Amino acid sequence: MASILKVENLNSYIGQYTILQGVDIEVKKGEAIAILGRNGAGKSTLLKTIMGLVNTRSGSILLGEDSLVGIPTYDIANKGIGYVPEDYGVFDYLTIAENLKLAIRNDTKDGDDRIAKVYDIFPDLRKASERMARTLSGGQRQMLSISRALVNDNKIILIDEPSKGLAPVVIETLAVALKEISKESTILLVEQNFSLACAIASRYYIINEGRTVVNGKIEDLIQDTQLQATHLGI
Amino acid sequence: MDIFLTLFINGLSEGALIFLVSSGLAIILGLMGVVNFAHGALFVWGGYAYVWIYQMTNSFILGILAAMLIVFILGIIFEKFFVSRLYGNAPAQILITLGLNIVFIEIIRLIWGNTPIAIKKPDFISGTTIINGVTISHYRILLIIIGISVLIIVNYILKNSKTGMVIRAGVQRSDMVQALGINIRLYFTIVFAAGAALAGLGGALYAPLAGNVISTAGANNQILAFIAIVIGGLGNFSGTAKASFLLGLMNAFVAWFIPSFAVVTNVLVMAIVLAFKPEGLFSEGRKSILRLAVKK
Amino acid sequence: MKSLREHIQRDFSKNVIIALSVLLIALLIFPKFSSYTMLNLLTRIFVISVFAMSYDILRGYMGFINLGHAVYFGGGAYVAGILYNKLGTTIPVFILSIAVVVLYSVICALVMGKLSFKKGTSVFAAAMLTLALAEVVRNIAESWRDVTNGTDGLIFKVPSILSNRIFFYYFSLIFLIVMFIILRKFILSPTGRVIIAIRENEQRAEFLGFRIENYKLIAILVSGVSAGLAGLVFGTFNRFANTELLSITYSTNALLYTLIGGTGTLYGGIVGSIVVNVFQNMLLNLRSIHPIFERWLIFLGILYIAVILFMPKGIVGTLRHFIENRKVKSDNEKSSKTEKAPGE
Repeated sequence: MASILKVENLNSYIGQYTILQGVDIEVKKGEAIAILGRNGAGKSTLLKTIMGLVNTRSGSILLGEDSLVGIPTYDIANKGIGYVPEDYGVFDYLTIAENLKLAIRNDTKDGDDRIAKVYDIFPDLRKASERMARTLSGGQRQMLSISRALVNDNKIILIDEPSKGLAPVVIETLAVALKEISKESTILLVEQNFSLACAIASRYYIINEGRTVVNGKIEDLIQDTQLQATHLGI
Repeated sequence: MDIFLTLFINGLSEGALIFLVSSGLAIILGLMGVVNFAHGALFVWGGYAYVWIYQMTNSFILGILAAMLIVFILGIIFEKFFVSRLYGNAPAQILITLGLNIVFIEIIRLIWGNTPIAIKKPDFISGTTIINGVTISHYRILLIIIGISVLIIVNYILKNSKTGMVIRAGVQRSDMVQALGINIRLYFTIVFAAGAALAGLGGALYAPLAGNVISTAGANNQILAFIAIVIGGLGNFSGTAKASFLLGLMNAFVAWFIPSFAVVTNVLVMAIVLAFKPEGLFSEGRKSILRLAVKK
Repeated sequence: MKSLREHIQRDFSKNVIIALSVLLIALLIFPKFSSYTMLNLLTRIFVISVFAMSYDILRGYMGFINLGHAVYFGGGAYVAGILYNKLGTTIPVFILSIAVVVLYSVICALVMGKLSFKKGTSVFAAAMLTLALAEVVRNIAESWRDVTNGTDGLIFKVPSILSNRIFFYYFSLIFLIVMFIILRKFILSPTGRVIIAIRENEQRAEFLGFRIENYKLIAILVSGVSAGLAGLVFGTFNRFANTELLSITYSTNALLYTLIGGTGTLYGGIVGSIVVNVFQNMLLNLRSIHPIFERWLIFLGILYIAVILFMPKGIVGTLRHFIENRKVKSDNEKSSKTEKAPGE
């Protein structure tokens, strides 16, 4: 199958600090990939680097055939990437409906239908659609943030720690929704919550100190407690 | 009774003028969070551009349009080369816009000199009508009409267009707006320039009413604009309009009944509002939008 | 707090102390060799430096933008002038004017502080509030003609000894040194440290049990009184006060001095005051050379813009950064050399 996203030997930096120093990842169409690793390993930075929010020093990022290195963030997004940052990144002074409407890109024709579909996945949002986003709970914010990535026909969706800071009950609902979404979309997921990652992803990459060190099928990782202990501290 | 009506009409037109001066700043400061101390220069540039083109073409409409266009271009320059580097940094914004204000006012003095240039109202609008013994100046009526039109149009754009949403979202999280595929820099430049063009419109309309243009007219009008925005509440466009009309009416009545008090009223009202209702008289709970912008 | 100590110790190393002593001696013998114009320029710089430092207490150490700081400065000048005009030009009146300026500044600072430091007031709202208060005072000065002479400005005489330029030069030099020492002591005092802690993290300081509002009030009191005294000396020096001294121009000038010199350093204010005043003086002199310098303000505006764009930390901040970088570099080189040694 054709690869949607291919990252090779990626190095990136913030200010004077090099964060990523050799990341290789390949995502094929329809896959759900989990990026695992300890805190501060560079997982979130990988997603930010792909989005152009963190500067690339060397290496390549290919979306299909197109290189994403050195082009502005909005162009990267317009090539067909949805991004769900770890702090949700919802716009507090816009209503839920406006948050979704703003996310619809110019080349997306069936925006309204897609919003309706998103409301079906997260009925909570439909009920609160005219409320300002700053009045929402953490779980609702996460749903809104994920929804924004769904209103366009994205080639891939980058999701950064969706379970962070949420109550276990909310995480369960989220897991169901994400599983559902992964059936139709290609997903690159950063996740600390190992069981959530296992529930959604088919393959994994482990990042350690800014490098991809291990990858493979998620079933194999579930069996391999040794590997879990070395890299994930489980 | 007649005097009340005269004062009322004058106050309304005064308010319309204050609104035209402050509407641009309401966008630049209120929505984008840029503490723009170059607003006075933009205003004065509008006045001079109007006079320049009006004297050349003898057309009121062309003069107004030219003023808006020239100040729009100034706005693009201001935003693109200076303000864009300083979003979220209020002290630096204050200083850089003060610097721009000084430079561009001095450029006016270089080009047009330091003495006032007299300008008449265009003939078609210079007359007055007397109803029941109350003299109503046509130009003042025009100001009220233009003021209300600007209010309606800009309010519609802010509430219903993508631009309005982008700005409201971008002030809080410009990185995330970009990550949704929107070139926020471009929006900020255009919106800043649009705010500038409104200041230019204010300057252009002010000149015929005052009877002349002078490079010092910017300073007072700039403070007036800040006052209207603070009273109306930051980030609240129609609040600025309400505050402008309130100030206009108040000025008209105070100037008539207690003239010695007239100079201080505006700042005094602003001080009182800030002290007791810092989010503005007409705020709708959006007070913290600017706090976000300034702290970032 | 330790890093602050280190900063101060480093800034005042032996070499610096020697350099300062040389500078002080040069300044002391300066009047022997100088023209009156230069003498006046330096006097002006000394007084303005105090005004700039007083601003730095708020801006640099507290992160507070005061657009009404001129209320103290202009007020100080007016108080001096009014008292001389009403009570005569004697030294006791001068001493009385000091007391009155302190009282006036304390009242202004209390009103300004009480209103601006209310919880939930944003940086911008506070800045506008200070602007409004100063504008109220300026408008009062403009319309209260009997006392202030309105927009024409107030001309007055001063005690004869204070009108001696050389005496006044030394007087303002001592004034600057004394104020510098006092303000430094204030910043290094436990109170000053709490104020810095509040700037760094207001919430944490609050959790530690400090009454934030009281500390901010103390800061604005110290700052306001210093600015008021600077205004008093400035007015006495010029024998003139006008409403411009109360206007936003002077408040933003203070902001400019501290930003050019470097905020949060105190002596940044002095550096900024020197740079701006010398630059201004130069431009004014150039007027006889080319007519463009009639519009010398253009160049001042460009200076504002250039400093913000290219030197956001100010002169002192940039120098400090430069020195630190060199230090880090040389340290790195040293350590990398020692690392390499065994391999070679």
